[in-house]
Amino acid sequence: MEPLRCWPRVWCILRVDPRFRAGSGILCLVVLIAVAAPLTASYDPLAATPVRQLQPPSIYHLAGTDLLGRDVWSRLAWGGRLSLSAGAVATALAVLPGSVLGLLSGYFGGKLDSLLMRAVDVALAFPTLLLALTIVTVLGPGLAGASLAVGCAGIPRFTRVVRAATLGVRYAPFIEAARTIGCRPHRILLRHIAPFVADTIIVLASLELGYALLNIGALSFLGLGAQPPAPEWGLMLTEGRAYLSVAPWITAAPGCAITLTVLAVNLLGDALRDALGLQARD
Amino acid sequence: MRIAWQLIVAIFLALNAGLIGGVDSRYAGDVCASALQQGGTLFYGLTLSPSGIDPHVNASSELGIPLRSVYDTLVYRVASSPEETAQQFVPGLAEAWEISQDGLTYTFHLRRDVKFHDGTPFNAAAVRANLERIVDPATRSQKAVFLLGPFHSVEVVDEYTVAIHLSAPYAPLLDGLSQVYLGMASPQALARWGADYQFHQVGTGPFRLEEYVPNDHLTIVRNDEYAWGPPIHAHQGPAHLERVVFRFFTDPAGRAIALQAGDVQVMGEIPPLDAVRLQQDGGFTIVPVPIPGQSLGLILNTQRPPLDDVRVRRALLFATNREEIVQTIFGGFSPAATGPLTAATFGHIDLPAEVVRFDPDEAARLLEEAGYVDSDGDGVRDRDGQPLLLDAVLMTWGSLPEVAQLIQSQWRSIGVQLRTRTLTYPAALEAARTGDYHLIPQNYAGGDPDLLYTYYHSSSTFNWTRAADAVLDDLLVRARQVSDAAARMELYAQAQKRIMELVLLIPIRDPVNLNGVSTRVQGLRFDAHGWFPILHDVRLQ
Amino acid sequence: MLVLVARRLVWAVFALWGITTLVFILLRVLPGDPARTILAASGASETAIAQARAQMGLDEALPIQYGRYLWNLAHGDLGRSLFSNRPVLVTIAEQLPPTFELAAAALVVTIVLGLGLGVLAARYAGSWLDRVTVGIAVLGVSTPLFWSGLLLIWLFSLVLRWLPASGADSWRHLVMPAILLGAVGAAPLVRVVRSNLLTILQTDYITVARGKGLPETLILLRHALRNALLPGLNLIGLQAGFLLGGAVITETVFARPGLGRVVVDAILWKDLPVVQGTVLLIAGIYIIVNLGVDLISIVLDPRQRET
Repeated sequence: MEPLRCWPRVWCILRVDPRFRAGSGILCLVVLIAVAAPLTASYDPLAATPVRQLQPPSIYHLAGTDLLGRDVWSRLAWGGRLSLSAGAVATALAVLPGSVLGLLSGYFGGKLDSLLMRAVDVALAFPTLLLALTIVTVLGPGLAGASLAVGCAGIPRFTRVVRAATLGVRYAPFIEAARTIGCRPHRILLRHIAPFVADTIIVLASLELGYALLNIGALSFLGLGAQPPAPEWGLMLTEGRAYLSVAPWITAAPGCAITLTVLAVNLLGDALRDALGLQARD
Repeated sequence: MRIAWQLIVAIFLALNAGLIGGVDSRYAGDVCASALQQGGTLFYGLTLSPSGIDPHVNASSELGIPLRSVYDTLVYRVASSPEETAQQFVPGLAEAWEISQDGLTYTFHLRRDVKFHDGTPFNAAAVRANLERIVDPATRSQKAVFLLGPFHSVEVVDEYTVAIHLSAPYAPLLDGLSQVYLGMASPQALARWGADYQFHQVGTGPFRLEEYVPNDHLTIVRNDEYAWGPPIHAHQGPAHLERVVFRFFTDPAGRAIALQAGDVQVMGEIPPLDAVRLQQDGGFTIVPVPIPGQSLGLILNTQRPPLDDVRVRRALLFATNREEIVQTIFGGFSPAATGPLTAATFGHIDLPAEVVRFDPDEAARLLEEAGYVDSDGDGVRDRDGQPLLLDAVLMTWGSLPEVAQLIQSQWRSIGVQLRTRTLTYPAALEAARTGDYHLIPQNYAGGDPDLLYTYYHSSSTFNWTRAADAVLDDLLVRARQVSDAAARMELYAQAQKRIMELVLLIPIRDPVNLNGVSTRVQGLRFDAHGWFPILHDVRLQ
Repeated sequence: MLVLVARRLVWAVFALWGITTLVFILLRVLPGDPARTILAASGASETAIAQARAQMGLDEALPIQYGRYLWNLAHGDLGRSLFSNRPVLVTIAEQLPPTFELAAAALVVTIVLGLGLGVLAARYAGSWLDRVTVGIAVLGVSTPLFWSGLLLIWLFSLVLRWLPASGADSWRHLVMPAILLGAVGAAPLVRVVRSNLLTILQTDYITVARGKGLPETLILLRHALRNALLPGLNLIGLQAGFLLGGAVITETVFARPGLGRVVVDAILWKDLPVVQGTVLLIAGIYIIVNLGVDLISIVLDPRQRET
């Protein structure tokens, strides 16, 4: 049985891990640029100036211009808000219900557990992208719908993993002791079990953010996510594809942005996982 | 450790051998083919994967590209410029024809030497079987039946003479009969294959359908018995090519790449910027084909406020800088449109500047006159607290999403906010039915200006303008019934003017199909309807 | 052991049933009327549309529709496409081979790359090779498939002209898509194999083998690898899901025919029978693959039989 997490110690380990430093550095930069878009973007992302179309990167346009003469860097900055918030929402949607269900299922067991795990098994028999696609069909195209769909598609995975983590702690002596003295279930769950399961949740959530960004981008790629003229990264990639040979910067910029962000998130997740001493989970 | 390195070197060598071998064999293939003048296989790139390819049933122009060479039609159209007062039709499967005085009966005298690909003879009974199939509601024809207009019945006069009876005069009939959608299929094959006919199509054309695997390829092979070609073919007798394989390239980004990589020798609908690049590459030419028919534009829903006010509609028209759109997105390859018909269509007129022009100041003035001012300073005009917000349904063809984004930007500068939704065709049809749109595009190619009836007559199911103008209705009805070509042209000129005065449409550009063709391909031409290649005369070098 | 196998089979069947029900519910919730959308293009009247609805059985109560659907399924009838009127089974039979080809080739690449690089990284653990390998693996997971696909096309088809950009006619058409899909799928496998190997390399019996003087590579390949494979096997089963999902994107980027595009088009066009049929098939394959993986690992690992 592992002792309660010593956060100061975790922080010491993280501080020197190059993955943590690189990952958090990149992520902070990306978030900063996105949040401060009104400052970091020098042009209106939606203003079309056709006379300046398809210009390669220069000092006036850091990432060049697209077909309609819009500044790609500005679109990237404003689009960061869209992509990152969509990813965050999808992750939250997978993490919160998934963790709650996993905790409840692992702790109470019995019929609820059996039923839930059967349902989760069924949902997991789907490739995630297909599940998201099907949900998006019902909701219709749009960034909100795509976000929702990807989030929902991530719930089964979270439920399964959190349940396993809960089970690992469920039968520990100190939990039994708490039950014996009459602690109410929700108190046990919140104060005793949750801290142990938190490690798993944190690591998985960071990985989930990466998956969410990629899947939302994939849905935009298929035309089911963000709609024009939104400067969402996945959509920018799709739009720029037709001009790959003439103006590769239109695709390269959002492509690099997605890759860097997901890379940063994955590095962070790896560093966290190692620092928290957990086994790799899928 | 050594083992690992040896393995790596071995793999590296193998890869090189494979790649060199691969590159070599392609060059070897080229050397052999240059000696051939007769025969050979042409690879042709299609751009849309239609849900069905039965010409009597489905409406996409994509199916016509391969099937135009599988079917013959009763007559063929010769391309006519807008200024000519007559559309010319030449004999096809019909050697000669007469039109009765009242315009209600068309009698066709058929050729006697024609055989279907399955060996059965072509005769008047076959024509009747075809037409009856098309008008049968169970067939659910999406285009062919509309081309027949006020069709009443078909009569077999004798073995090689057939008469079509109409319930009202209908001048566009010959044009309809010249389209692949009214191509003549073997009645025996129709009866035999039923619902699966589209995979076993049998016509009388210079090629026969060998195989169709949806989303993958469609192969047609030469019909060696072909001896009844129309005068629009450059030579008589069988075709030169042995076989044509059509492959699908629904993704515009991949088209120029596939052409340059040699995956196909002809590719349709090359994106304009890629076309510019291809023109500089010595191995390819760009063949731009203007498509007669409807111009690419956005139809306005005149029953949904604020578009019920003609001043608002006119403001939108004047706020649209069509030249800028054509230059930016279409690389100047197609002319800006001024009305509902393209410049290549018979009966087209150029509309005067009072009716159609780019005039943002006038647009702003019109909006103010209609009561829309920016009272809260957010850049969007409003009236009675309601912002001037419009909703456009878009589809993915014709670069519409990019066009819409540019229009969004142009309209923003006069204080109009435009929102768009990109839908698939069935979803768009549903939106059209419920009226859930301010703007919606439609795309219809055809040589006869009667298509205006389908989209602008108040009784038509496709009247997405939801307008009911008596003057326009009258013009359109008369124009389809009058047989004198000059009179028809005059009526259509007035109709076009009326449509643009009422601002039922925001025209953007004339569709021009940019075909990328390898220099190995000789003799490729397109027929009078624009989309369809005449493969009969093509040779491969 | 038989009991174990039987239990797995029962679960597989149950999962299949669950999938069909899930898809059935989701798609019936869709707004819009299939009858109307098919007929709208031909300008049909309202009575014709009502007739078509009755014909397609869309007016009956949901349980009845569901029952009929299951009944047909049991008889191998997956219905007909709403738009092309072709039997769904035929469409699947046609479009399955190219997808299967792609998935199989990608799986081979995944296993070869995953094992190969994982072993390499473990063998030279701590060195620059190890770090580079793991770094590439992480990068592989982070790059969106549709972007790396485009880069590959640009490099190998446009610039170098070594490989064809689209289609599925020859083995050469398979190279880029398979390598792309396989490499991205291999990334997680590399990490798992590496970490498992490292754990095993520290166990006692390996130390004994080293003490006996056996060369390191031999130890790695003959003794350690077999035990490291088991968790990897599980991962391969899960990767089947990734492959099937990734096939959708890969087929679109490389313009390959296959089930991926069929399913996306069917979802966009709301062609219900085709969506149901292909989703069922894809999920079925996934379940069977995982079943196979489970059974193989039961055979390979005596420890699991004691459960």
